[in-house]
Amino acid sequence: MKRVVTNQGFLIKLIIGVSLAYALPLHAQQDSVALEPVLIKGFVPQRFMSGLKIQAIDSATLVQTRFQNIGDILAAFTPIAFRNYGPGQLSTASFRGTSANHTAVLWNGLNINAPTLGQTDFSTIPVAGFDQLSVQYGSAASVIGSDAVGGSILLDSRAAVRPLHASVGIQRESFDNDQSRVDLRYAVPLNGEWSFAGKTTLYDGRMNNHYRKPYRQGYLLLPTETFQQGVAQDLFFNSNKDREISAHVWLTDNKLTLTPEDAQGREMTRTTAYRTMVRYRAGTLALRTAWVRDIIDYAKGDISDPDHSVTDKVATRVEKDFSFNIGANLNPVSIKTGGEWTHYRSSVPGYAQSPVSENRTDVFLLTRWQPATRLTVSANLRQGLVTGFNPPFTPSVGAEYGLVQKAYYHLTLKGSYGRSYRVPTLNERYWKDLGNPTIRPETGWNKEAGLEQVLKNAFGGTWRTSATFYHNRVKDWTYWNPSRNYRVENLQQVLARGLELQVGFQKQSASWRSGLDAGYAWNKSSQEKAYDNYSQDIVGKQLVFVPEHTVNANAFIQYKATRITSQFQAASKRYTTFDNTQFLDGYGLVNLLAETTFSFSGMQARVQGQIRNLTNTFYLNVRNNAMPGRSFAVSLTFSYDSQ
Amino acid sequence: MEMKKQFASSIAVAISAAWLWSCNQSDPAPKGDYVSGVFVSNEGNFNQNNGAVSFFPRERTTADADIFAAVNGAALKGGVQDFVSANGKGIILVDNSAAGQDKVEFVDSYTFKSEGSIGAPDIENPREALIIGSRAYVSCWGTNADYKYTTGYVAVIDMNTKKVTKKINVADGPENLANANGKLFVGTTAYGAGNKVTVINLATEEAGSPIATQGAANPIGIDANGKLWVNAGNKVLRINAETSVTEATLTIATDGYKSPDNFALSADLRSIFFVLSWYDNTNKERGATYKFGIGDAQIATTPLIPRTFSGLAVDPAQGLLYAGVTPSYAQAGYAVRYRADGSLVDSIKVGVAPKGFFFQ
Repeated sequence: MKRVVTNQGFLIKLIIGVSLAYALPLHAQQDSVALEPVLIKGFVPQRFMSGLKIQAIDSATLVQTRFQNIGDILAAFTPIAFRNYGPGQLSTASFRGTSANHTAVLWNGLNINAPTLGQTDFSTIPVAGFDQLSVQYGSAASVIGSDAVGGSILLDSRAAVRPLHASVGIQRESFDNDQSRVDLRYAVPLNGEWSFAGKTTLYDGRMNNHYRKPYRQGYLLLPTETFQQGVAQDLFFNSNKDREISAHVWLTDNKLTLTPEDAQGREMTRTTAYRTMVRYRAGTLALRTAWVRDIIDYAKGDISDPDHSVTDKVATRVEKDFSFNIGANLNPVSIKTGGEWTHYRSSVPGYAQSPVSENRTDVFLLTRWQPATRLTVSANLRQGLVTGFNPPFTPSVGAEYGLVQKAYYHLTLKGSYGRSYRVPTLNERYWKDLGNPTIRPETGWNKEAGLEQVLKNAFGGTWRTSATFYHNRVKDWTYWNPSRNYRVENLQQVLARGLELQVGFQKQSASWRSGLDAGYAWNKSSQEKAYDNYSQDIVGKQLVFVPEHTVNANAFIQYKATRITSQFQAASKRYTTFDNTQFLDGYGLVNLLAETTFSFSGMQARVQGQIRNLTNTFYLNVRNNAMPGRSFAVSLTFSYDSQ
Repeated sequence: MEMKKQFASSIAVAISAAWLWSCNQSDPAPKGDYVSGVFVSNEGNFNQNNGAVSFFPRERTTADADIFAAVNGAALKGGVQDFVSANGKGIILVDNSAAGQDKVEFVDSYTFKSEGSIGAPDIENPREALIIGSRAYVSCWGTNADYKYTTGYVAVIDMNTKKVTKKINVADGPENLANANGKLFVGTTAYGAGNKVTVINLATEEAGSPIATQGAANPIGIDANGKLWVNAGNKVLRINAETSVTEATLTIATDGYKSPDNFALSADLRSIFFVLSWYDNTNKERGATYKFGIGDAQIATTPLIPRTFSGLAVDPAQGLLYAGVTPSYAQAGYAVRYRADGSLVDSIKVGVAPKGFFFQ
């Protein structure tokens, strides 16, 4: 823990709270945004996304996977495909057939994609860093801004409600891998007006990946090690006079070394992020200011003097909610308007000039209106301003209509149509020789429509199903053109379209619970325009590393405090060349989790066992190296909750 | 990865053709799916480790993209830097993106069945191979972890025991090989600071007096008169292979920014083809392919073919020029065939980044 701040004094002072983690009800995943009162306050962008699909990952899942990275969860519960270089290595998302740059990752509303790369390495985002995880499907650029093209991942911190929760957990895994985590949650009233709540989480992961056999079916299991550690700290001050102040800090450090035993050939990539944020809300006015520093160190052989790149981002946002009356017999329109100003400064050894800095401004107007109980409509407008790279004016409209609204059956029709954009990353502009100072922002139009139904009291439980079709065309898609030595150009026009089917079932009796979440997705994503002689071989072909078909299923059965979960995920073949002449075979993986919780005098001990890749399936990663076969993990978590 | 030359292939071809001819006189005809035809070394995309050897009989216009995987059920797991064979015994140089995973793979070149491999530390960053008698010579950069191309060696492999019997140190990143008069001529990569041809005595397997050059030396091959041709910078040198004396120096009109590459001798060993190329300010490769005779007083500035290639070789059996086309490292390339006068014959889709050809 060299670079990560661990303030133990601070910790001890704040052992006065309770956790949400175990206190939250194990509710089913929620596919639609609940209809809210007219005036909306706070930092929640989801409320203006009517017509778009949002999937909340339930808290029980976050507890089950508390020692893992979010890539593992998203792979198990969503059709997002990951371009994975190996265990503990770079893992980027392809959401609805788009590239790694087209998924916005928001931490408490702030885009934390690295500004240099414009993407997030999901192997560096542990579940320990946040309290809530939601996945928003499809373009939502008018609400979120740049990068929200294929979809967005929303990570949020939530204030504790009970006085004290403390937990300590360790996980021991195959291949000499270990994870550990300490959580403290605390809440206390301060005076008649203010109350305080907070959370402190420390996590540490050591993946040594000591595979027993170096090869599987003749393919190398690349020797790597990944050390991850960090701290997340949230402080919430709430006033009963409708004011709140919160501060959030997330420091995380991830060090990956390829072939660590080879002193000359090893490659080290260290990704460190300091994320800090302060939020303030008084009634309908909200302010947020954040500073994020992303550091990437890379070295080969001698790792004592790595290439060191540092990017700072300072972002300040102001937003104000209004309720606009449009007639005595009509519901008022909720409006959120605001602006965000962001300053970037980046020192990267590979840039033609260093440091580089730039300012970006966004102004937005979001509306939500519920003209009748059956209908909710959103219309959103955004204009981003970036010196020399102005993205287009970005509107969107969305609607949800309740076709059937009975006590036991709901059928909702949803639709959305909107523009998306992506501002070029700093690397795309400033990288020496390969960057392109005249690169244009990408723009796209996303349309989607879907049906959702909820059926209660059928086969003893509640069923939720949804079907969504989408069509997303992105123009000026930037491309590190391999035929120009990877100089970046706005060459491609990509059409991604597909269908997503999901079904969820939950059943509960006095001692028994059971549930199923399953999904199928078809993603056809292809290049539409030829740009040179040989690109004819690429037109109409599926994009690389985007499987056309994915399936995921999670089923559990629980008796009292004992739960068995089985997870299945499958992907069809993934092409590895743009002309689809080479591919990695499709595969299916099964994981099995079993856990039980013992309670005694306010203490709980949770024991969990996992069998990963139960069927010992052989499959390959992007490097053409084998992925591990069957492996095991056992964890033990002690926790204390005050009553 | 950089553009790479494959003249050694044509040399090896001549040797193996001779071998084949002599074998065919006494032995029964060899059996296998790949007895006669063209092997293409596809470098693949470095980080994807997806190189392959493609194959097609000369009369066909479609190729089997990855014959090693088709026969052995598993891919080579690296970029293919070179493939050569003699008397039905071939070696594939495999370059993996991870340190310590490079290898020389042995195959029966008629069936392409794997017959074992040699990996690190014997083989690190293999570049080019030549089989002479029962020995294979493989130029290697060594680990080259600092990317400075200062070290390197030629690994001597006993083709019978499949073991490295000696490593002959050659500094500055050894690359192209040529063989004449019991000597092995070794050039170095243009990325390094090399300025000579290393001359290895094949009887003693020791390096003797080198041949000084201006810039990194790039042996092209041995012409019809037994002379060694070497490219260094914008010069092409004709060198007496016995005395090491430079007898002629021709200048390529590079205009200060074009670089010559992919030299190949014609079937009659009396002409030399090469590609002269540069990158424009959008990183697009531009240039053309040229040809000159070994007796020419200067190198013609009129292109033979108005385009560039990622590899050139001449089939000694038919005399056709085989040119590798790499549209990018992320899609399949093509082997384009031309007659010696530069007229187009046809085009065959092969693997990713075709850089070298071997004719059997």
